[in-house]
Amino acid sequence: MAENIGYPIGPGHQINEPSDFNFVPKSKDEMRIPIGPQHPALKEPESFSVALRGERIMGVDVKIGYNHRGIEKACEGRSFVQDVYLIERICGICSHTHSTCFVQAVEELAGLEVPKRGLYLRTLVAELERMHSHLLWLGVAGHEIGFDTLLMYSWRDRELVMDVLADLTGNRVNYGMNTIGGVRRDITKEQVENALKVIDKLEEQTKYYIQLGTEETTLIQRLSGVGVLSHDDAVRLGAVGPTARASKVDRDVRRDDPYAAYGDLTFKVVTDDHNDVYGRTLVRLGELMESYSMARQLLKNLPDGPIAVRAPRKVAAGEALSRYEAPRGEDVHYVKSNGSENPERVKVRAPTLANLQAVSKMLEDRYLADLPIVVAAIDPCFSCTDRSIAVADHGTLSWETVRQWGIDWYKQERGIDFTKIKWGKQ
Amino acid sequence: MKIIDKIIHWARLKSPWIIHFNTGACNACDIEIIAALTPRYDLERFGVQLKGTPRHADVLVCSGPVTRQIKDRLQKIYCQMPEPKFVVAVGSCATSGAAFQDCYNVLGGIDQAIPVDAYIPGCPASPQAIIDGVVKLLKSLEASE
Amino acid sequence: MSDTEKAKHTLESKFDFLKDQVRVQRERRLWLEVPKDKFFDVFDFAVTRLGFNILGTITGLDDGADIGLIYHLFALDGRVLNLKTRIAKDKEPMKTITNYFPAGAIYEREIVDLLGAEFEGLPAGLSYPLPDGWPKGQHPLRKDWNIAMLDQANKENK
Repeated sequence: MAENIGYPIGPGHQINEPSDFNFVPKSKDEMRIPIGPQHPALKEPESFSVALRGERIMGVDVKIGYNHRGIEKACEGRSFVQDVYLIERICGICSHTHSTCFVQAVEELAGLEVPKRGLYLRTLVAELERMHSHLLWLGVAGHEIGFDTLLMYSWRDRELVMDVLADLTGNRVNYGMNTIGGVRRDITKEQVENALKVIDKLEEQTKYYIQLGTEETTLIQRLSGVGVLSHDDAVRLGAVGPTARASKVDRDVRRDDPYAAYGDLTFKVVTDDHNDVYGRTLVRLGELMESYSMARQLLKNLPDGPIAVRAPRKVAAGEALSRYEAPRGEDVHYVKSNGSENPERVKVRAPTLANLQAVSKMLEDRYLADLPIVVAAIDPCFSCTDRSIAVADHGTLSWETVRQWGIDWYKQERGIDFTKIKWGKQ
Repeated sequence: MKIIDKIIHWARLKSPWIIHFNTGACNACDIEIIAALTPRYDLERFGVQLKGTPRHADVLVCSGPVTRQIKDRLQKIYCQMPEPKFVVAVGSCATSGAAFQDCYNVLGGIDQAIPVDAYIPGCPASPQAIIDGVVKLLKSLEASE
Repeated sequence: MSDTEKAKHTLESKFDFLKDQVRVQRERRLWLEVPKDKFFDVFDFAVTRLGFNILGTITGLDDGADIGLIYHLFALDGRVLNLKTRIAKDKEPMKTITNYFPAGAIYEREIVDLLGAEFEGLPAGLSYPLPDGWPKGQHPLRKDWNIAMLDQANKENK
């Protein structure tokens, strides 16, 4: 463990916060405000330096790395089996994602073929995770736009999914379901019946959210036109997942590069052409309905047989690349082994890293009040990302010009004249 | 004065306002903290409210192993809270660093940076455990005065 | 012949130094190592002609005296081409690929921070992911690095 840095904090305690993130305006014509790493809008630490002209965002610098724990290095010092549990804890919302992606790569290296029942169970937990993640997102999005009731409703429904997950795997999060060679737990007929009932109930509730999303004018107005990302920008900036699919980028790893049991399932890839946060909401709601249908297919057609094969302690030398469609987008794991019990190199590329570049583009020329919902709309998970990025700088205005701009705006839009108010040096 | 003190003390115990800060966690504990505020577990019946700024808060609810990048900010936030203040470390990472103990960017539990009053273990700490921890903290404050 | 096999065949017939070098590990996975001087010809061909026009990520490896760089390129139909090259550690830089993939800057910055590689033409930006105040020259993902070296460097800086 690193050396004790020093507490308790007493009088005279110096807090130095070295930062290459400069909040001093780059020129005297610019107004910069810092957001983060602690802020009520988002649940994870990241820092934004927002260059403003009145209420309009001219540019955003994003600094991430607060969640960087050094997991890739830690993986090299632990055995493959220990790594399954460490990799699971990269992220709490998509823990099964990372664990499955890693285990798939190791199984490719070791030349193991997971039995059908194991694959089905793995996919079932994956779809349940997608359900809980999208419901979570719906609540968080509601919270960001000030619609706390939606947060409470959708998280109440999410508890049903958590109950099923706890019933099947033993924990609400960090399921520990995967092992190299298959899954660790089997499910009984009663659990299958129970899960099917829960899915029926959830589908009913989700239909209500879809109705809300398509008919409620205030919601539509708040989300439309916000966080616009054109199709070409989405492709150029490498966006993945629902963020990209809402810009009509028709890519989904479950269909393009099937893994686990997805080859046996019939499902649609939901895309939308709104190009904005509203489109992302519709895509996620559509994916929820698809998940219910997929989970039903899995539960009804669960094959019999063993759930895992024995895996060797030492994995043959080689390298493998594994991809997985996490609720947030495409997750990529690269594993290299050298014939020993520990991996030689583990590389994780989480979906949010790919989407972050798109955020800066989305925020260009938008209002400051849209920043929380735009960032929340890519469903950020910085803990996946860290184990950012400057944006266009559109030129700056002098303080006098900004002030005059504000005065003109209020005169025009609100009929209030602020010209007589004195400030600062006057 | 005695009565005023009693009223203030009673108000503090009956409605502790919290601020939540994530010091580099995987988010599982953060989601469970927010889940504790949703209808099924409902921490708000204890008068707990989630505030956005440390200056309005009595209790700092912290999750995650402290990474080097965020340590200074954590200490700043702790200093910004008005007295009396309490810190609750949620999750095994916040308690000791858990799975990340020998990672190069992680310092260990929250008590490597600020003093902690209550530890809630678990990976993640389930909402029931969080409620239990908060209630125990409030009871101990009640008992101490 | 599957699409993966077709891609292997096209690469090998276009570049004769690639004869029998392209490995098909399983369906939709191609693995290939090229020396640095020939890297950009193959890269350009794969990205602009073969349809591997999505950059997944760039992996950096500590390969002893070299730093290995693997560019994971994806095609729309799910095939993956893993293109590997090497640069001598601390001696030679690698040319950036941000002219093809502007979003790839962050993957290159990650390798700069964690392995100490250098990329020519990489636009300036905030370092990622190591924290501010991290001493220069300490690259955690190198095999010979351990945390004691960091404590030592911090003591010296004080």
